[in-house]
Amino acid sequence: MAASLYGPDEAQPAIWVYLEQEQAVLERVSLELLSKARELADGIGWRVAGLLLGHRVRPLVEQAFAWGADEVWVADHPLLEPFTVEAHTAMAFRALMQGRPSVFLCGATPNGRDLAGRLAVRLRTGLTADCTDLRLDPERGGLLIGEVTGFGGGVVALITMPHHRPQMATVRPGVFPLAAPQPGRTGAVIPLDVDLRPEDLHTRVVERVIGQGVDLTQAPVLVVGGRGIHGRFDLLRELAELLGGEVGATRPPVDEGLIGRERQVGQTGVVCRPKVAIVCGASGAFQFVVGIQNAGTVIAVNNDPEAPIFEFTDYGVVGDALQVIPALIEVLRAERMAVEGGPARG
Amino acid sequence: MLEMPVLTPDEALWERLFRETQGTMALCYQCGVCTAACPWGLVRHEPFSVRAMMRRAQVGLLDGDEHLWLCAACAQCETLCPRGVPVSEIFQSLREQAWETRRIPRGLSAVLWSVYWNNNPWFQPPSYRVRWARDLEVPRFDPAQHEVLYYVGCTSAYDRRAQKVARALVQLLRAAGVRFGTLGNDEPCCGEAVKSLGHRPYFYEIAQNNAKIFADAGVRELITTSPHCYDVFQNHYPRFQAEFRPYHYTQYLARLLEEGRLRFSREVRLRVTYHDPCYLGRRNGEYDAPRRILDAIPGLERVEMAHSGPEALCCGGGGGRMWLETRAGERFADLRVQEALQTGAQVIATACPFCMACLEDSLKGLGVQGIRVMDVAEIAAMAISPSGTDLRI
Repeated sequence: MAASLYGPDEAQPAIWVYLEQEQAVLERVSLELLSKARELADGIGWRVAGLLLGHRVRPLVEQAFAWGADEVWVADHPLLEPFTVEAHTAMAFRALMQGRPSVFLCGATPNGRDLAGRLAVRLRTGLTADCTDLRLDPERGGLLIGEVTGFGGGVVALITMPHHRPQMATVRPGVFPLAAPQPGRTGAVIPLDVDLRPEDLHTRVVERVIGQGVDLTQAPVLVVGGRGIHGRFDLLRELAELLGGEVGATRPPVDEGLIGRERQVGQTGVVCRPKVAIVCGASGAFQFVVGIQNAGTVIAVNNDPEAPIFEFTDYGVVGDALQVIPALIEVLRAERMAVEGGPARG
Repeated sequence: MLEMPVLTPDEALWERLFRETQGTMALCYQCGVCTAACPWGLVRHEPFSVRAMMRRAQVGLLDGDEHLWLCAACAQCETLCPRGVPVSEIFQSLREQAWETRRIPRGLSAVLWSVYWNNNPWFQPPSYRVRWARDLEVPRFDPAQHEVLYYVGCTSAYDRRAQKVARALVQLLRAAGVRFGTLGNDEPCCGEAVKSLGHRPYFYEIAQNNAKIFADAGVRELITTSPHCYDVFQNHYPRFQAEFRPYHYTQYLARLLEEGRLRFSREVRLRVTYHDPCYLGRRNGEYDAPRRILDAIPGLERVEMAHSGPEALCCGGGGGRMWLETRAGERFADLRVQEALQTGAQVIATACPFCMACLEDSLKGLGVQGIRVMDVAEIAAMAISPSGTDLRI
């Protein structure tokens, strides 16, 4: 086992978070990670730092402070925008070697995964990918314990790296809750020197196109409709919107053209792992269930108490989805109004 | 001047395909019977030109044809081919090339990884493999006590619908006094999905390992639920013991009937039409055993569909197509359900978990009432069940 470029003895008592941004908007997962890092750091008396790479990103440091960073290391340079893995790896490497944090966290987004893998190799350290929980063990000098599920959720592994630093981990969006921000909270801004040259980069972004497609795999909440909702995807969309999620479907409504093929969940569609899946009017054919079985919590609504879907669910509601869902929407709306300080009921 | 695309045959590829297909690829003389026979012609205006695929393979041309993944390995073309070309094996060779160059449809590598990590192609936890048996207390196979190993298979072990077939089969074997056991959670995936999807090097590895597992466990006779597992055990596994003999369960039950060990005492008043699974029928020539079982059930009336036996229409789930999407309106099983309806049958009987899934999907999709899909084992279990109620179907 090769030694990492700096070891536990040289590591600083700090948790660093890669602040992923696109066009000067921070990814939500970065704020989730800051929230979690703050909680972990407070438990052991460490510092939290954000690593912000991009161009004209200085306004984002206030957000990082508000969500718990004590310091933000910033590299501001045109070659860091938009994200290319070469430029961000080079800069992150430089910053980490300078700051030598004990822990470095990235969001398990396409760019975050790309960056984390390369960095771990360059730093000769380990990377615990797709953690579902993180803990710091104060008894063992702030050893990071990453919880990872395997074998289709059948086992949970706890992974540590006692001899290598930084202790790297990626976490999917939505795993950790967002803490309440503290506006006005401040910290130190540490500028980084940038010595990138255009010829160092092998990737050039020619054009930026945002597709119409959806990525159901990233949705924290998934509301899925089957044949039993008789095409009422408008109701499901309303529910999904209230819950901050997306709408999916089983194969029959897709076949009937009631909803796009890109929203088909299952073996030959998308395999998702939302925190919550609400399955409405779907009997639970095996090839569909494969697509949601890794959801944190599965709730099913079906009028047939014998439907196989109930064998897979954490909560089952026996009833007509077209009556249950509108009632649920009504309750959620009322709650939201109450939270937002509006009138409790229209 | 006429603009023609320049096609450059790949000599090395040609040689390799020739070798991998043991020269059978060269047998094709381009008559086109395969294209005419292919069931894709029933659901598409433009037929799937199997002949053209064969021609391109013969001259060493491979351009990542999307048609490569259409073949359901139903062997309809193979039974009619005047030259005996093993068309689906050639397709698998071409798919093997596609794996090497990573020109594979989305989602298929995940299926192979699931076989690797989970020991099943359905992304299910390995430790849940025995859950189908729940309260049945099926013992661990012991060659000193048991005459036969029951190889359940991944789909029957995990798919809730198919599990009922495995449970019915246990009832039947017990009723016949058969001493049997399973390998429990250690039962290995047979690798048929891997083979059909064309990753033959990985399949050979699986087959080699599994053949050894069976030999070490002292297995002489083995029963499978699925014709797909049966097909690879029978035709594509190395033989470490001369006496190793796999049976599809319909063959085994037919033998038990013949030996007088299994008797059907209860009437099952149903009009039943039998759908031949391709991997049992055309691939292995077994058309009679399932029919003999159905005919031995008192009160049961068996009727044939317009196409049956060697001419039976494929459900669309073979050749790895269980893991690929088939567009609505292009599913063979829709046509098969229509054929079954014309017989006036109340039940479509089949003997394969993939056929069952495809046919049930089509019944639901077409919104057809008054007919259902059952496995031969489930119908047979109704004929022995003392109360007829302990089998929830």
